[in-house]
Amino acid sequence: MTTITINLNGTPTTAEALPHHSLFRILRELGMFSVKYGSATGETGAAAVLFDGVLVSSEMVLALKADGHSVTTVESLNTESGLHPIQAAFATTGALQSGYSAGAMVLGTMALLERNPDPSEEEIRDMLSGILDRETGYVKPVEAVLRAAAVLRGDSVESFAPLIVPTLTDGTNAATIDPNDAGPLASPSVPRVVPSIDVPDMAVVGKGEVKVDALKLVKGNPAFTDDIEPRGMLYAKVLHSPHAHARIVSIDDTAAVALPGVHAVLHHGNTARVKYASGGQSWPNPHPYDQVSFDDTVRHVGDRVAAVAAESIELAEEAVRLLDVTYEVLPAVFDELEAIQPGAPVIHSETDTEEIYDRDRNIVHHFEAERGSVEAAFAAAPKVYEGTFRVHQVQQVPIEPHISIAWLDSDERMVVRTATQVPFHTRRMLAPLIGMDVKNIRVIKPRIGGGFGAKQEMLIEDIVAHLAIATRRPVRLELTREEEFWASRTRHPQTITFRSAVDGDGNLTAQHMRLVGNTGAYGTHGYTVQAVSGLRGLTSYNAPNKRFDCDVAYTNIPVPGAYRGYGAPQAEFALESHMEDIAHDLGRDPLEFKRQNWVKLGDELNIAPHIGERATDGTVELDEYPRVMSSGIEECVAQGQRSIGWHRRLDPQWRQPADRPHIRRGLGFAFCMHGSGIPFLDMGGCSIKINDDGSFNMLVGATDLGTGADTVLGQIAAEVLGVPLEDIIVYSSDTDVTPFDTGAYASSTTYISGTAAKMAAEVVRKRIKERAAEMLGVKEPCTLELHDRRIWAPDGRSITMEELALHTLHWEDQEQIMGTASFMSPDCPPPFAAQFIEIEVDIQTGQVEVMKMTMAVDCGVAINPITASGQVEGGMVQALGYAHCEEYAYDDKGRMLNDRLGPYKIYRADEMPQTEVFLVQTLEDSGPFGAKAVAEIPKDGVAPAIRNAIINATGVAINNLPFTPERVWSALRSAGV
Amino acid sequence: MHQLVGYHRPKSLAEATGLLESPNRMPLAGGTTIVHDGGGHPVELVDLQALGLGTIATNGSHVELGATATLQAVLDSEMVPDAIRKAAKADQPSTLRTLATVGGSVGAAEGESLLLAALLVHDAIVNFADDQSAPLAEVMSNGLSPGDLIVSVSVTTGGSTAMAATGRTPRDTPIVAVVGRRNDDHTRLAICGVGPTPQLVEEDSLGQLEPPTDFRGTAEYRKRLAEVLTARVVGELS
Repeated sequence: MTTITINLNGTPTTAEALPHHSLFRILRELGMFSVKYGSATGETGAAAVLFDGVLVSSEMVLALKADGHSVTTVESLNTESGLHPIQAAFATTGALQSGYSAGAMVLGTMALLERNPDPSEEEIRDMLSGILDRETGYVKPVEAVLRAAAVLRGDSVESFAPLIVPTLTDGTNAATIDPNDAGPLASPSVPRVVPSIDVPDMAVVGKGEVKVDALKLVKGNPAFTDDIEPRGMLYAKVLHSPHAHARIVSIDDTAAVALPGVHAVLHHGNTARVKYASGGQSWPNPHPYDQVSFDDTVRHVGDRVAAVAAESIELAEEAVRLLDVTYEVLPAVFDELEAIQPGAPVIHSETDTEEIYDRDRNIVHHFEAERGSVEAAFAAAPKVYEGTFRVHQVQQVPIEPHISIAWLDSDERMVVRTATQVPFHTRRMLAPLIGMDVKNIRVIKPRIGGGFGAKQEMLIEDIVAHLAIATRRPVRLELTREEEFWASRTRHPQTITFRSAVDGDGNLTAQHMRLVGNTGAYGTHGYTVQAVSGLRGLTSYNAPNKRFDCDVAYTNIPVPGAYRGYGAPQAEFALESHMEDIAHDLGRDPLEFKRQNWVKLGDELNIAPHIGERATDGTVELDEYPRVMSSGIEECVAQGQRSIGWHRRLDPQWRQPADRPHIRRGLGFAFCMHGSGIPFLDMGGCSIKINDDGSFNMLVGATDLGTGADTVLGQIAAEVLGVPLEDIIVYSSDTDVTPFDTGAYASSTTYISGTAAKMAAEVVRKRIKERAAEMLGVKEPCTLELHDRRIWAPDGRSITMEELALHTLHWEDQEQIMGTASFMSPDCPPPFAAQFIEIEVDIQTGQVEVMKMTMAVDCGVAINPITASGQVEGGMVQALGYAHCEEYAYDDKGRMLNDRLGPYKIYRADEMPQTEVFLVQTLEDSGPFGAKAVAEIPKDGVAPAIRNAIINATGVAINNLPFTPERVWSALRSAGV
Repeated sequence: MHQLVGYHRPKSLAEATGLLESPNRMPLAGGTTIVHDGGGHPVELVDLQALGLGTIATNGSHVELGATATLQAVLDSEMVPDAIRKAAKADQPSTLRTLATVGGSVGAAEGESLLLAALLVHDAIVNFADDQSAPLAEVMSNGLSPGDLIVSVSVTTGGSTAMAATGRTPRDTPIVAVVGRRNDDHTRLAICGVGPTPQLVEEDSLGQLEPPTDFRGTAEYRKRLAEVLTARVVGELS
């Protein structure tokens, strides 16, 4: 060890370092928790600090190199109460979602403004280019820097608030858009809210409140899984399979066990074989249970072989290297269509996995559903169309990788602090694996640095729990970025064929969707994701006859699972492409043709109850089918058309600019429809109690993973209780403390958990009114109103919430006013959206550049327009990556070739297209204050809209994703363009 | 990947070159290409930060870029030709550009480096601590030998430049990129993405290229890109 001295945040500080230690590691050891791990190679920028005043990725600075230099972290700003103007700007503009990289962004802003107090947007985006953000689409961080600069220059700034945009339609019918109307002029970061006359003005709901967790995030306070250091903690590492398919002949762990400092080595030879499925889903998890903690067979490169716990990461890595494993390599298959052919390698030949549909053909699930008769309709139709589409494998890429820390507490109960979207599912699923009762397990979800479905999984919690039991010490396991790619979860590749019948008037009479999904080595979410694909693929358009056929195939690719959108992006790419092709063949305007057929207010979602986890028998007609009870799609289309300049799609001079002969321009559209939770399944709970000062503690099981869920749920409760949001202290989630919630998935939190929060608040409000009526001498409690932190009598008298709290807690008929409620919905109201895209295609190189993305969303009433628009901006950018540049690449042995950010390309701040987001209000009666979901629908329309824009630009249709330069070039060349 | 077991911070060039005579030592500049994974041969690092090699200076028609000048310093210097500044910006994002150095980029010799292509068309000469010099193309072709210590890279200024690139996104590492410079009726062209290092080419010899195939582009596609992008650069320069 060498002693180094750095000037840390103005204070000379010493630390001990070895030659390979990074500055990042030293800073974490010194308690600088704002500095976050994103990768070992610096691409994420989550660990960026100021090094002699310059922004650098601290993972790439060796600690010994830093000796004698000054280092600044965001903690340097935390010496005064309140927030520094830069921190305040990030909080007020909605630039913080998970806040995982907030410290780096704030520091980058400091350094930039030091050099240039009035930076251009280009300079800001360049500063942010080294800090990857998977959440905001960079829209609001750019606004935050502009705002901070203005404040620090002394310029006056207006409050950051949504822009109210007048309606263009009557809410039901299409509008004609004036080509000369450029629409609202405002920063792209400002959500455009198109109000509905059905929605009343409210005090807290509908307002762009600052997130309730903003302070801890923007200050870099210790809030995430890794920001604790239990005494005696051990470090775990996993040995991953180098083979796509192999039988483990033997594991010799002698040398690893003998290594001083190694405390446990676990593998199939010394760990109980308990079957499970890792997808974080409601009990009973869908079969098959095809996993065990450590198996004697590996089924993808990166599959688990063994795990070790040691005194340091280096010792754990050394122990892993010392494991001597002999493999019998087996044949492997990677493509879903090849995997289900006779003679393909059988991936799950073990006899103790039950309920595999056809083990010999690797078909883990087969299901089908039908309304009416598609074959009869096809036989009778004048026109039948067919299109086949292939969608690829991508990753969620949360900047915070999977990380879990487990220990046995003083009662010898298992505590797991973990980055999860599903703490309650994890607790239940973990129990049998480690041989403990549910009651003896506590799962704590702290702040999460993004999940996007990757953390809707019991992925590594069993490993740390096993090791904690084996060692009786706390154990920490964090995946590296590379491990995150091949040992975490991904989006399902699929091959989808649509067939549609159209009558002479352009009405769909039948739609048949045939899907083969690739669930990789294990089933996990294989059944449910594919079911959602069927649901989304077959409920967007009206047709009396519909059929869904689905096979889900095992292959030897790293495991697909839940990923924001959950099967919908795949299905809607295929559907919106297929519908576009039909329209072109019919000589119809694609938008008009889709409008003629898409589901409208009051229409039946006619196959929905027959697909999914709680599907009814597809052959039995139900008495009643769900219907669309709110839809703002026409207003969405109108706002989107105006924003994108839709009229230009027919202008040949615009499409083929004279001064750039190799460029073709195009516009594309996609109709989007999603769901709000899983009906009859998803459930959330909430409990609220009053405090002495009239504030309220609110405990929710819902899992805020950066989405703003805590804020939205707090706003709902605040609206009911007549207090500002700051009086609601939200805590989520801890299985020992908070009520149950299924977790953060399926676009359910605002709709399901939000309703639970509203109901719990209503319970509290009822009791407050009863007690206040006594205090005020009012006979009818229901005549009282709550607002402005007071309880008001009809005659204008009032008491404060604090007076009521003190009275009821301390003075008379003492009681704790509190309320608990939970909610499960029989409904699943669909949000709708119109996605518009502008692109340029270089016809000589195939390079597609996306110039603008506009999404207008009907999410009912946006509880918080700033966080809601942030969801749309970030979701669109993830969807852009899916469509345009992200892709798993493998060699012929199933080894990933691009397991590093850069080769695996995600968009960064300095290459973003322009974005514009509209929130079109409707009042969904079944939702809390009229809300529907918003988090996943931005994932659905970008890919088909780009594809359709390429057709508009070049006339060439491409049915495979992503639209990388060579794929587009090849298609153009084949078409003779 | 390396196993880092030692660290030195010499105070003079002579001390540095002496240290680097040992085969298990390598120079440390920005450090962006050095990743410790605990495996491989043990390596000791010789940190160049105290040697004063980070300056950028102009001398008539030449600019000398210090070996430890960061790409951000190159971008920020108005002495440096525009194409080199743009290429320095393109090679790394903000948090790595402040670490990565000119000398480190030459040492890494990555085939997709736009900076190296821009240096090539500006007639870059690599200067070593032993007072030897060699053209950049030659250095990349031959590779560095153990003990080599780059102290600076000299480039000529003047002329007009153009560049064209194709990537998956606007700021993606280019699949193929071409940088051109026209000076005194002489045009120099350098291409990235068609070989293990960026290379100088003649417009009429593009057919001889033998690009690699990888997941971002086949050899056939890269050859086509080389032709298209070269034509654009030449067209812009003429």
